Amino acid sequence: MSVAPLLQADHLTRTFGGLVAVSDVTLEVRDQEILGLIGPNGAGKTTMFNMLAGSMPPTSGHIRFDGADVTALPAHARARLGISRTFQITSVFPALSTIENLRAAAWRTQSTGWWQAVLHTPAWRAEEEALDARLRDVLAFCELDAQAQVKADSLSYGEQRRLEVAIALAAQPRLLLLDEPAAGLNPEEGQRLVAMIRRVRERGVTVLLVEHHMRVVMGVCDRIVVLDHGARIAEGTPQEVANHPDVIRVYLGREVAHA
Amino acid sequence: MRSLPLPGVAVFAAIAVLPFLTGSSYLHHVMVLWLLFALLALSLNVIIGYLGELSFGHAAFFGLGAYASAVLTLQTGAPVWLGLVFAGVLAGMAGFAIGYVSLRIVGPQFAILTLGFGSIIYTVTNYWVDLTRGPMGITNIPPLTLPIVGPLTEARGYFGVVLACVALFAYACHALMTSRTGRAFLAVRENAPLAASLGIDVFRTKLLGFVTATVVAGVAGGLYAHYLRVITPELMSLHYMAALIIMVVVGGRGTIIGPILGAAIYVVLLEVLRAFGPARLIVFAALLTLSVIFLPNGLVSLWPRLMAARDRRQARLVSPADAETSP
Repeated sequence: MSVAPLLQADHLTRTFGGLVAVSDVTLEVRDQEILGLIGPNGAGKTTMFNMLAGSMPPTSGHIRFDGADVTALPAHARARLGISRTFQITSVFPALSTIENLRAAAWRTQSTGWWQAVLHTPAWRAEEEALDARLRDVLAFCELDAQAQVKADSLSYGEQRRLEVAIALAAQPRLLLLDEPAAGLNPEEGQRLVAMIRRVRERGVTVLLVEHHMRVVMGVCDRIVVLDHGARIAEGTPQEVANHPDVIRVYLGREVAHA
Repeated sequence: MRSLPLPGVAVFAAIAVLPFLTGSSYLHHVMVLWLLFALLALSLNVIIGYLGELSFGHAAFFGLGAYASAVLTLQTGAPVWLGLVFAGVLAGMAGFAIGYVSLRIVGPQFAILTLGFGSIIYTVTNYWVDLTRGPMGITNIPPLTLPIVGPLTEARGYFGVVLACVALFAYACHALMTSRTGRAFLAVRENAPLAASLGIDVFRTKLLGFVTATVVAGVAGGLYAHYLRVITPELMSLHYMAALIIMVVVGGRGTIIGPILGAAIYVVLLEVLRAFGPARLIVFAALLTLSVIFLPNGLVSLWPRLMAARDRRQARLVSPADAETSP
């Protein structure tokens, strides 16, 4: 219990003019866990997510990753520390093939540059071979091996969503932030994605999952944080959260009653 | 596995033979112009094809390089190779300054900014008469001198030098695409927010590509100055800027053979249509328009299409019955 959390958000607040989107939210993501962040529409999930990923600065509060204050770091600098994210609207490199998408995504893990490629240095060659092997593994993991040479914009919607996860994994993150990964997927594809997220954690990657689909969150998360109107109203195991009176009132009411 | 690309080597070997097929110094001259434009188009291709930004200022860096090398060698008597280095450095410094200011902005606004900066460089060159002799241009620029060979006086000699530059840069572009740096370029072109989420600094990546392109444009300008030995500010005019974009787009942006092919088409048309005078520009404009509408990926995109059509035709010829009965 006393292990320092991998990601710690301290009293985060974000206002847009007079509107308070996120108000004084504190949460922590522990090493190797799957944390769900849920809430009804307009609860501030996406704002919270963007602050954690570095694409939106908080109005006040602090974010610490692995003990270091990253509040002031832009998105690319946080990514270099090992935070990968996916996007709510499908986001891939459309004109590149699946394998080229992953090669570009592995940028953080490579160190040889243009000159080494021009001169074909042994370091460059070794790194490229290691990369190829590792990406074959990522392709297999995301069940995309058959689509390796297919251009990303020719993939099916479900394949594109899996490619997004593959892109994030190719960067070898310590923390993976998933923004509504199941949005728009049919139940079968959704299940496939849930299974994938579980296996991601088995590889030692910590996951923060922002989700709307209750079934996805309940099935896969270790702990859940619930937001409503920008404030944290509950935290706990899926069981605890599902039985929390406030959560039932604002969000789960109908689904729990029917479950 | 990923060593020298054989088709590329074959293409350059074929080009190297060209000047030996004719004794005409006029044709040799056209060939040198082609390669100079090819080098320039390849450098612009880094911006248009790899970074996905449109620059209207590229001819200005070409002109800047030409003037830098010409003025340095004429006024200080410095050797020409030093002039070429200076041309690349000065154009690269200007590229850094302009890129640093403009590359935070993307899309049409960036293109317009480069147009503005290009016009400033053109105007300064035109009116700084003490240094550049203004519209009169600079004459008597010393020729390129090679060790052992001595001063180059024939177009054929320049052909060899410029071809070596084109081949080196083409290979560098090829290698770029197998490196982390080049993949960052493509990532930034395809999806900047996603690239940033993977650790790529979008601004620095664009700046690196932009400065590289301007350095090469500057060296190409220097080579041009010492080859023709006469330069005027017209080098930086809108006419050349448009011509460069036509070469890259009509040939095929984002490829290596495309800009080289585009430069060939431009130079050949320029010579063939010489009798039409300024009306040539209409032909070029029409060419650009048609290419954008029918071949948005340039002439090089015809090749896979032709191959596919041939395969289909052969498949039909081989087994017409199979093709009809197969499910």
